[in-house]
Amino acid sequence: MTEAADIHSWDGPTMDVALKIWRVDEDGERDLVSYELEAPEWACLLDVLDLIKDRHDGTLAYRKSCRMMICGSCGMRMDGRAVLACKERMKPIVEAGHVPTISPMGNLPIIKDLVVDMGPFWQKIRDVKPWLDPGYDEASERERIVSQQQMNVIHKEALCIMCGCCVSECNAMEADPDFRGPAALAKGMRFVGDARDQATVERLNEYNDEHGIWDCTRCYFCNERCPKGVDPRDAIAKLGAESVKEGVDWDMGVKHAKWFVTSTKTTGWLRETELVPKTQGILSALKETKFALALARRGKVPPPGPIHVAADVDEARNLYDLVKEQGRDGALGIVQGEKALAQIEHVLAADPDHAPASRISPEESGGKSAGSEA
Amino acid sequence: MEATHDVLVVGAGCAGMRAAIEAHDLGADVALLSKIHPVRSHSGAAEGGINAALGNASEDSPEEHAFDTVKGSDYLGDQDAIQILCDEAPGDVYQLEHWGAVFSRTDEGRIAQRPFGAAGEPRTAFAADITGHVLIHVLYEQVMKRDLQVYEEFFAWKLVIDDDRCQGVIAWDLLNGGLKTIGAKTVVLATGGAGRLYTGTTNAYACTGDGMAMALRAGVPLKDMEMMQFHPTTLAPTGVLITEGCRGEGAYLLNSEGERFLKNYAPNAMELASRDVISRAEQVEIDEGRGVDGNVLLDLRHLGAEKILERLHGTRELSMTFAGVDPIHEPIPVRPGAHYHMGGVDTDHELGITELEGLYAAGECACVSVHGANRLGGNALMETITYGRRAGAAAADWALTHTTVAVPPAVESDAERELKTLLGRTKGERPWQIRDELARTMHENFGVFRRENQMKEQERIVDYLRERYENVVVEDKGEVFNNDLTQALELGYLLDLASCMVVAGLERKESRGAHARPYDYPDRDDEKFMKHTIVRWVGDHPVLDWKPVTMTKWQPQERKY
Repeated sequence: MTEAADIHSWDGPTMDVALKIWRVDEDGERDLVSYELEAPEWACLLDVLDLIKDRHDGTLAYRKSCRMMICGSCGMRMDGRAVLACKERMKPIVEAGHVPTISPMGNLPIIKDLVVDMGPFWQKIRDVKPWLDPGYDEASERERIVSQQQMNVIHKEALCIMCGCCVSECNAMEADPDFRGPAALAKGMRFVGDARDQATVERLNEYNDEHGIWDCTRCYFCNERCPKGVDPRDAIAKLGAESVKEGVDWDMGVKHAKWFVTSTKTTGWLRETELVPKTQGILSALKETKFALALARRGKVPPPGPIHVAADVDEARNLYDLVKEQGRDGALGIVQGEKALAQIEHVLAADPDHAPASRISPEESGGKSAGSEA
Repeated sequence: MEATHDVLVVGAGCAGMRAAIEAHDLGADVALLSKIHPVRSHSGAAEGGINAALGNASEDSPEEHAFDTVKGSDYLGDQDAIQILCDEAPGDVYQLEHWGAVFSRTDEGRIAQRPFGAAGEPRTAFAADITGHVLIHVLYEQVMKRDLQVYEEFFAWKLVIDDDRCQGVIAWDLLNGGLKTIGAKTVVLATGGAGRLYTGTTNAYACTGDGMAMALRAGVPLKDMEMMQFHPTTLAPTGVLITEGCRGEGAYLLNSEGERFLKNYAPNAMELASRDVISRAEQVEIDEGRGVDGNVLLDLRHLGAEKILERLHGTRELSMTFAGVDPIHEPIPVRPGAHYHMGGVDTDHELGITELEGLYAAGECACVSVHGANRLGGNALMETITYGRRAGAAAADWALTHTTVAVPPAVESDAERELKTLLGRTKGERPWQIRDELARTMHENFGVFRRENQMKEQERIVDYLRERYENVVVEDKGEVFNNDLTQALELGYLLDLASCMVVAGLERKESRGAHARPYDYPDRDDEKFMKHTIVRWVGDHPVLDWKPVTMTKWQPQERKY
């Protein structure tokens, strides 16, 4: 049980907080300003900013609203890491004697102090056609029948509060500002994974484009920094898996991924020599001949000859068949993996003797095709 | 004038967006205007669900829903309005589902429904414990699909009134600075509540009653302003909401002796009694020394990890972050906190029509009244959708049959002058002390229980704070993202509303719903007070009046749970 501060003031224990804020004025002039102030022990970063604005400098600009991690207004950086200001408790930071530096989110133009221009963010959201395409104009009288298992596919994506923390941290976006980015692609997955949406293939073709899913560098910063557990990188992986499953396979990214599967299914191991032609195509691969020869000279390419087949290749093949049979290819497999991991974490935490729940049976697993009207 | 539209919706939460979508679909040129981006609106913080008699979890009917709502309102709700809400709720929920709302599902794949306080059947449709979040995003998706214009981060300051008609809004443009006038044939207010009047509140910083105060200043009366709901389960110290859905899923409320104390207050409904009843019970337990550091305990442990993770995931996240408690392993300390204003802009019972031609209101900022003296959990989201749709339709109908919009230059220049005076002031008090004193004293003197002398004291305090507010200083004089200015303006709104609440509270000499006076008027007095309070702003102070309650088929009876 935590101690409760008095509701009427902060008669309860207080602490001395120190922090630095990158102030940016209307002309873009930057200045790192230090603040020291007294705050209640329960204060989060947002409470501290409020105290500064009230009592020290009314010109400090930042966004806020719900202060309970649901409105997504107060995204900013603390020590270079995107956070929601309302979620960051200051007490452990103060106790560690640390003086954090607060700055605006990255990858978005700064307007003033901690306020960024969310215009480019929302444009990318709009670009994924972020609304359900039900495939009809006139709705039936009642709701559509969809199982909870089917809805679970987009459970995490539906948690997104559009705060921009993932976009702030996206390394791919830093290199290519046109990259669709983690928030928009997670929003895309929210519809691709929705059994009620009838535009899956069209969406996947769009999200596979030049600045789409295969441009993600898989640095996992978005997963790491998302304050709501949306795991946008996993959403991008799900879009990749759905692309393979739905035959949207014209991008090199998909071809690359598919070769991993084909190679392990046929011989039980990854035949790297064939990876380049399978991904880029024969003509394009020929351009790499010089590089390949150089690799061969240094003994980095296995000699041609009879293709080696792993002794236990049947295990790889059985696994492949099982996944297909149970409909675990596509996004669903990733979703089930996530769910199993969560169960292990929480069930074991509550009762270490209890074994993790058994796998979800194939009957429960749902799948996109089952969405129907009622 | 910046632009003109057929319909301008001020506020872009669930009610505002629903109104805008409806007006657009009826052929009107619509714009939304909001001081925060639509998805930041506080509708998104609604957790537990939305009530409609879908009958997915049991036999149910709009009739039963209406009766529960009438009884829950302590017979101050208008029964004709309640009937409309309950009859149309199922269709409106199906509509949301077809737009893509991610509702939780039953084993049959239908929209799941859970029990909620004071509801005779499990009627609350939900999306885990983030129902408001899901709805605000599905509505914004529909706004994007229709490519509706949104004046984002525009702070509405004044209604434009000409020819006895509301013809637009003057707003402060937060991103670029400057006053901007948006003309409109009709204006729909959907600006939400005013929970920021209290220290411990579930409400966002944005909930400062802007629409109610703008209407009040334009001469439009407010109704039932004394009726502020205290939610029984909020986290210390600031009042973060823990959903009623916890109790809907079976959680217990315990006092320091580990006792389910509601057996002494609501022996039948227990934890699923109405919110006013439970908040009072908690306050009594705490006041009589059976609390735990000023809280009671909400115990979810017996629900099990799996149910908590699937259906109360957000609650767990909130209590771990703000109370340091994992509800899988420990009970959550909770207390009553200001949550919802049953009162608001006085409208008709059908279409959100106000006394001022061209002005409509919907959602929490309106008082239709479907909630009367106590709102049932799950009925607020439903009201935003059903009455948002209705107000949007009515505003579009009127706009499409009238042609002109006029904003007299004097209206704009007066506003410019007033702003200049405020920004020009360099000596005086910063707003925060007034704001904090207002919230602290409202909590002390106009909270769960109300005493005559405390209310009178509060009346004096608010008057004194209003005087101090006359000399308030805005430190930021800049144009870009000057929310120092808008926060000062919000405080002015809150002060006006506090005056109205206290005046109405003093004159309602009975105990009904959220207005509890156990020390002098412990009982409901239907003979004298089964009527709405109406407050108008005349000169520089509020003036009280009354308005009858509409009764159709439900006669008042004793209210027990």
